[in-house]
Amino acid sequence: MSASPDLSIEVEDVRKRYGRTEALKGVSLEVRTGELFALLGPNGAGKTTLVHILCTIHRPDSGVARVAGIDVARNPVAARQNIGVVFQESTLDERLTVEENLEFHGLIYGVPTRLRKQRIRDLLEIVELSEWKGHVVRALSSGMKRRLEIARALVHDSQILFLDEPTVGLDAQSRERIWEHIATLQKERNLTILVTTHYLAEVEECDRICIVDHGEILAQGTPERLKTQHGYELLRVVPRTDGDREAILEKYAGRMVSENDELVMKSDGEVFVEQFLGSFGGRISAMNLEKPSLESVFLNLTGRELRDQTANARERTLAFGKRGGEHTR
Amino acid sequence: MDTARTEAAPAVPVQRRRGILQEATAVYAIWLREIKRAIRDKGQLIGGVSRPLLWVIILGIGLNPYFRGEVYGEVRFVVPYTYLQFIFPAVIVLNMMYTAVQSAISVIWDREFGFLREVLVSPMSRGAVLLGKVLGGTTVALFHGLIVLLLARFADVSLTLPRILSGLGMMFLVAFALTSLGVVIAGRMRTFEGFGVFSNLIILPLYFLSSSIFPLDPALTRAQTVVVYPEWLVLLVEWNPITYAVDALRGTFIGFNQFDPRLGPIILSVMAVIFFLVAWRDFRRA
Ligand SMILES: Nc1ncnc2c1ncn2[C@@H]1O[C@H](COP(=O)(O)OP(=O)(O)OP(=O)(O)O)[C@@H](O)[C@H]1O
Ligand SMILES: [Mg+2]
Repeated sequence: MSASPDLSIEVEDVRKRYGRTEALKGVSLEVRTGELFALLGPNGAGKTTLVHILCTIHRPDSGVARVAGIDVARNPVAARQNIGVVFQESTLDERLTVEENLEFHGLIYGVPTRLRKQRIRDLLEIVELSEWKGHVVRALSSGMKRRLEIARALVHDSQILFLDEPTVGLDAQSRERIWEHIATLQKERNLTILVTTHYLAEVEECDRICIVDHGEILAQGTPERLKTQHGYELLRVVPRTDGDREAILEKYAGRMVSENDELVMKSDGEVFVEQFLGSFGGRISAMNLEKPSLESVFLNLTGRELRDQTANARERTLAFGKRGGEHTR
Repeated sequence: MDTARTEAAPAVPVQRRRGILQEATAVYAIWLREIKRAIRDKGQLIGGVSRPLLWVIILGIGLNPYFRGEVYGEVRFVVPYTYLQFIFPAVIVLNMMYTAVQSAISVIWDREFGFLREVLVSPMSRGAVLLGKVLGGTTVALFHGLIVLLLARFADVSLTLPRILSGLGMMFLVAFALTSLGVVIAGRMRTFEGFGVFSNLIILPLYFLSSSIFPLDPALTRAQTVVVYPEWLVLLVEWNPITYAVDALRGTFIGFNQFDPRLGPIILSVMAVIFFLVAWRDFRRA
């Protein structure tokens, strides 16, 4: 296969393992130039691993990955000129000011002085941080930091933008604002964007979606196509007592997609709902019927809702630094 | 193959070659960041000022009267200098050691907090990243060494221009070598237990074993020295590279050497080169 001009990202059968964990088990995907492409998957699915390979932080064990037609494993430096990255964890220098962070980025990418100053001014304007340019990053809210990172990734001539969970941990309002900025920036530069996220509502707006889990691609396509192919109506109910819960679980074991406080099962139209209400109507305290949504696609394909993470040694070290600040930052 | 492929594709943006100028700019950017961070770190500045005050003014003045020997009923200095003068060059090294450790810790935090990634996905070469980091750390260490020099008058050390210049050269070598060593150690540490570990396990032992606060009396022969001091102590001091850093600065600032005066600069240069190369090798692998 050869690089095609209208494909900005090409991934062919990429594999990657960390010791025993097989983080990517042969992933292939293509992102067209100018597209907003979402990578959706639960914790540990391998999203970050793929992003790291595409932005030359890691090498794939096998397979080929190309950005802007450049093989990232064979020619990483050339690839780096063309990409902007916003990592899952902040990579800002908290002790420098907003402007200094952008300046630093421009300098290490070798952006000529006049262009650099101009771009920094424009980008700060777009992400609404102009008034904050003299402030130390530590003083910014998490939403502002995210916006700053997105702006920073565009100080050089990046054509392709990788956003690894750009909105994680932000409130709904900040998330919305970030997406507005992303849309503006994309239009202005005809950017190709690959974004990973946990939030299903966000990917509705994307051109195409790729659902991954356990290092494998489960489905790819436009939101509409995924919904018609893999989605179904969901019936959510809250049983009154544990006994009711057991009874429902027993009867509808085959339809169950999630069993938390709330039971979620596949529905296939009015008939099923009427039937359910006929037998269990009095034994539930709440109920909700959902149209085929990406959430149902996700549940159907992965068999679960989004998992929670536990703190590992590395995160504890980080927490130590953040708490104590013992000669840290 | 690859270039032909990219040229054929019109959507592919221009690939500007990175010249030496761009690498130099990038080194400058990293250097500048180190300086800015150091200036804004109040804790580091306070340490850099209070440490020399404690060691020179309090320890130095306190021990000054005891630093002499009585030979045949006649009081004379074993080392022909006051204790203040004797310890002064060592405190310069001590202050620079602390700064170098601070640079090392900043390497760890850059890695843990993710800032290092911002640099590693940029097109600048790993060598340039390291050079910027080490030069930045060296500059800050030199600055902390200069803070000690401000106390020269209190220590009765007279500073002439030639002394200052050759002293600065020597201090640069010490700072460069120590910062590189710090980066090497940081690169090999997987978890970080805090500054205290560094200070107690590395800085203070190296410092105390560098003949910084007590002389191995040069009036004695090697055989006599070993009689006066336990052999292991003499060996540790002789094998400690910091000994020669201290000795070189002593030679420069008070004109007193315990070892061959040529040894200091040579060992310092070798240390600077070797530690930097090791750091470079580690960095390219990372
Ligand atoms: N450096 C590493 N060393 C060992 N295992 C790793 C490493 N990085 C990732 N893994 C493992 O690889 C798998 C994929 O991780 P990855 O971070 O790519 O997932 P993710 O989809 O980004 O998850 P999240 O939503 O939590 O960010 C996980 O099982 C993870 O534990
Ligand atoms: Mg991730």
